[in-house]
This record gives sequence, C-alpha cells and structure tokens, in this order.
Amino acid sequence: MSKQILKELSDLVNAQVITDETAEKIKSYYSGQVSHSTNRLFIVFGILGALLVGMGIVLIIAHNWDILPKVVKLATGLLPLLIGQTIAGVLIFKKSDNRTFREATGAFLFAAVAISISIVSQVYNIEGSLGNFLLVWTSLTLPIVYVLRSSMASLLYISGITWYACEVSYFSYPHGHAWWYWLLLILILPFYYLEFLKDGNKNNFFYFHSWLLALSLTVCLGVFADNHGELIMIAYMGLFSAFVIVSELPTFNTGRVISNAFLVIGSLGVIISLLILSFDFYWSEVIDSKNLTEGIEFAVSIITTLIASVLLFIHLRGKSLTEINSKSFAFIVFIALFSIGLSAPTMAQLLTNVVILVFAVNTIRNGAQRNHLGILNYGLLIITALILCRFFDTDFSFVVRGLLFISVGIGFFATNFYMVRRRKRQA
Amino acid sequence: MKTVALPLFVVMCFAQWLIPGKMIYDSETVIVEGTTYKFKTQPIDPSDPFRGKYITLNFEANSIVTAQNAHWESGEDVFITFTTDSAGFAKASGVFRERPDTESFLKTSVNYYNTYENFEVFFNIPFDRFYLEESKASQAEQLYWQAQSDTLQVAYGLVTIGKGQAVLTDVMINDKSVINIINELNADKD
Repeated sequence: MSKQILKELSDLVNAQVITDETAEKIKSYYSGQVSHSTNRLFIVFGILGALLVGMGIVLIIAHNWDILPKVVKLATGLLPLLIGQTIAGVLIFKKSDNRTFREATGAFLFAAVAISISIVSQVYNIEGSLGNFLLVWTSLTLPIVYVLRSSMASLLYISGITWYACEVSYFSYPHGHAWWYWLLLILILPFYYLEFLKDGNKNNFFYFHSWLLALSLTVCLGVFADNHGELIMIAYMGLFSAFVIVSELPTFNTGRVISNAFLVIGSLGVIISLLILSFDFYWSEVIDSKNLTEGIEFAVSIITTLIASVLLFIHLRGKSLTEINSKSFAFIVFIALFSIGLSAPTMAQLLTNVVILVFAVNTIRNGAQRNHLGILNYGLLIITALILCRFFDTDFSFVVRGLLFISVGIGFFATNFYMVRRRKRQA
Repeated sequence: MKTVALPLFVVMCFAQWLIPGKMIYDSETVIVEGTTYKFKTQPIDPSDPFRGKYITLNFEANSIVTAQNAHWESGEDVFITFTTDSAGFAKASGVFRERPDTESFLKTSVNYYNTYENFEVFFNIPFDRFYLEESKASQAEQLYWQAQSDTLQVAYGLVTIGKGQAVLTDVMINDKSVINIINELNADKD
C-alpha cells in the first residue's frame, strides 16, 4: 500500500494535488514505518528461532543417549537453563529494551525449564503425571513474563495453564479439579493490564492475549461441571455475556470484529449455547435436578452472574439500553428461562427458540443500521441455524421445512441486495 | 516493574534450579540409602512428548492381602513395605495409613480395594517407566515379550526404595541389563 502511494507522489505533485513539502512529509512518514515493520519482523523471527531451538533441544534430549553417563546427561539437559538465565540476566543488568531479545529469551527460557525437569525425570525414571509436570513448569515460568516483560512467554504461559487444566480435569481419569489454574490465571492478569490496558497499547500481542484468555476461560469453565452439569450453563451464559459487555468497553474495543476476541467468542458463545439449549434433552435434565444449591456449579454460576451484572451496571451508566449489544443481557434472560424450566421445561424450551429469534432479528437490525454486511449476515445465519436445529426434532412436514428454508434463502438474497444498493446510492 | 525485576529474577533463577536440583537430590538419596528390590514385570512400549521413549513395566507385586476389612478408598494415600519371596523377588509385606517406622517404604495411593474373595489392596506403582534410547525402546519391548512367552526367562526391574520414594535403576532379563542385551544384539548384527 505504502509503495503504491510513494510511486504516485510525483504524479500528485505534478498535478498540483499536493505540494512538494507534503510529498516529502509522506515519504518520511513511510520510511519511518518501514523500520517499524522490519523491527516487528525481527521479533517474529527471534521468537520463532528461540522456540525452534528449544523444541529441537527437547527432541534431542528425548532421544536419551545411552552412551552418555548420567552426569553428562544431566549437565546437557540443564545447560539450556543456564544459557537462558544468563542471557536474561544480561538483559536485566543492562536494562535492555531490545524487544526482539526479550521475547526470544523469554520463549527460549520457557522451553529450557521444561527441558531441565524432563532430563531429571528421564535419568531417574521418575514417572510423575503430565498434569503435575505442566503445573510445575508453568509456575516456574511465570516470573519470566514479568522479569523480561515478554509477551511471548505470557502467551506460552496461558497456553500451558490451559493445557494443565484440560489434562487434569478432562483428559486424565479419574478427573481432578484444576484449582491451581484459577490462581495461575489471576497471576498473569497484572501483566495483561500493565502491558496493554494501562496505556491502551493495542498491538498484535494484545489481540493474541485477548483471544487466548477468552478461549482459555471458555474451555476451562467447564472443569466445574460435576454432578449438577445443567447449572454450568448459567455460568457459561454469565461468562459469555461478560465477554460481550467487555468487548464494548473502550479499553477492549478494537474497532474491528476479528480482532475483538471477547466480542466474537462472547456472541458466538451465547448463540451456540442457546441453540444447544433449544433441544429438549437439556430441559429434561433440568426438571429432574435436585439439590442444585449444593454443588460447586451453583457457586460458580453465582460468581459469573455477579461479574456480568457488575460489568453491565458499569456499561449501562454511560449508554442507553438500545446502544448496548442485546447479547449482553443473555445471562439475565437465561436465568429466567432456567427458573421457568424447573417447573415447565417445554415452555422454557419454546421460549429459548423465541430468544434466539429475538437475538437474530436484533443482530440483523443492528447490521442494517450500521450498514455492516457481516453483522447482517450473522443475524441471518443465526435464523438459519435455528431452523436447521428444528429440522431434526420437530414434526413439521417436509413441505413446511422446505418453505422455511426457501424463505430464509430469499431473506438472505433480499437483505444483501438491499444493503448493496443502499451503499451504492450513498456512494 | 523495573525496580522489582532484579530481585524477581534472582528468585526465579533460584526456583528454576531448586526443582530439578531437589529431584536429583531426592533420587540420589534413595539410590545411596535405600534398599534394592527385584520387581517381576511385563512391559509395553509407549512414548512421552518431553522425555522420549520408554517401556512401561507391569509389576506383579502391586497388591497385598489384608487380614481384615479396613475399608481402603481408591486414591487414598498409603505406605507400603516390601520383603522378598523365596525366589528373591519383591512382594508387599504391609500396608499402612501412617508412615511406618521401617528402613524403607513406598508412599503411593490405593488403586482399588477388592473385597470379592478376600480383602486385597491394589496400589499404584509410581516407578513403572524405564526410559531408553529412542531406537532401543521397541527392541527392548520385543525382548520382553520373548521373555514373557519363554517361561525360562525372567524379567524384572531393579528398584531402590528409600523413605517414601523409589528409583527404578535398571530393567533386567535373566539377570542381564536390557540395555546391554540390546547393545550386544546390535553389535552382532554389525
């Protein structure tokens, strides 16, 4: 893009659209940007290099060289840790602000810690569970994030604690509760605040952090599902609603849908959850449920609901109801549905369908108002998904279902056609 | 953040060396001070993403019959003491809820409690992995299966047990280290 503009500068000056002075200013502006992008490239390759070297050492160590004596094996395995710490030490003593070195060292040290624990386990045939290994590894790597101010180490750390929670609570049998995950997650949040939110630093690392944090929370909230699994849906609705609210706060709002992880995951989470809940299997579980307040799921539901409520309250202070994304209220609506479902499951199921329809219509209206084809089509997709779900569990005749699909198809075509024409007219 | 970077860095380095250091110290203490037993075994051959190839050993001495029903729960922490049978292989001699006052014992957890025919406590064995050089793991496995099908061959793990911890130091077939057998086989091929 910049190259194209630079090429046309002389033409623009000749045509007296811009002055020589303006052309020079534009040139100097883009030359400054070139060095910026080169720097970014260095960071990417630095991190990639460090990670590849780290993983390479892991694989070489994993070969387990029989010919080497125990001491040599241990020394070789611990050497990367020493190298990583030495480089980190030099960077700290010199108070270096070199981003490439900080990120690459952070990534390398992250791998070196895993190598050091692995080599000792290998030499002494220490079995240990993968969950425990991940817990120790990630705990030892947390200081790297703060000491080196390494965003890459932070991203690896978040991935590591998520893996730990999944390993302990989902992948291993008997399942355990990954309580440490929550503490470890809280411990990384100050970095997220200091590095990105405090100064409104919305760079690529901010987007990756937001995506990883939102995904990690979404995946790991399910670890609380135990004997009262049906209650966890209230917790999820609270979480997704909180995501949608957060995505609209100026601190998190990125101006683009794809880079706003909280909006994408929150909105999709609300809709997908509601679509799942529009089937009868969930509501038949709800009516059979007893002693709901006794499980951990109840406490978790209360906490997420409280968080979403506080966020909504803060958000509502500055805006009117109509300005707020309707999915921000999903948690309140769902609590009402759940309460109805405890005595009248069929009614709750029917109302869930209505709620999805209302969200879809609202999304379409929002897309039309903002002249945003993506949002508009998202609303239409919600309706299509709802009809698809009903395709499987209703007694509607094929003719009725066919007519419904045709109607939605025409709706897709008509609304898009209308929007494109409106855009042309405005242009 | 810069003011705390240096002290935090020192703490970080200390902690990152403390964990592997303690693992080495504990294992070496067990090897030097513990009692060595022979645990009869059968193997399988999986792989670990971080530590490489290993053979999993299926030890026979993984349970103990108790005289009376003590209601052992799965996952409950237990302390096991061992002795040797007439053939010289390890067998569990006692199961305790409290730390026994003996020279060597293993701290582990109850796998399950069988009360069907008699009161038998099955416990988890925390030393059932033996790491081998990548190329040798499957050869070792084959040797093991041969040893299992050949009733004249005996496979066992050499385990040193200290006060709670245990270290698997070698795996033997007919009193010969599995690594040496593989090395000899490879030398013959060459």
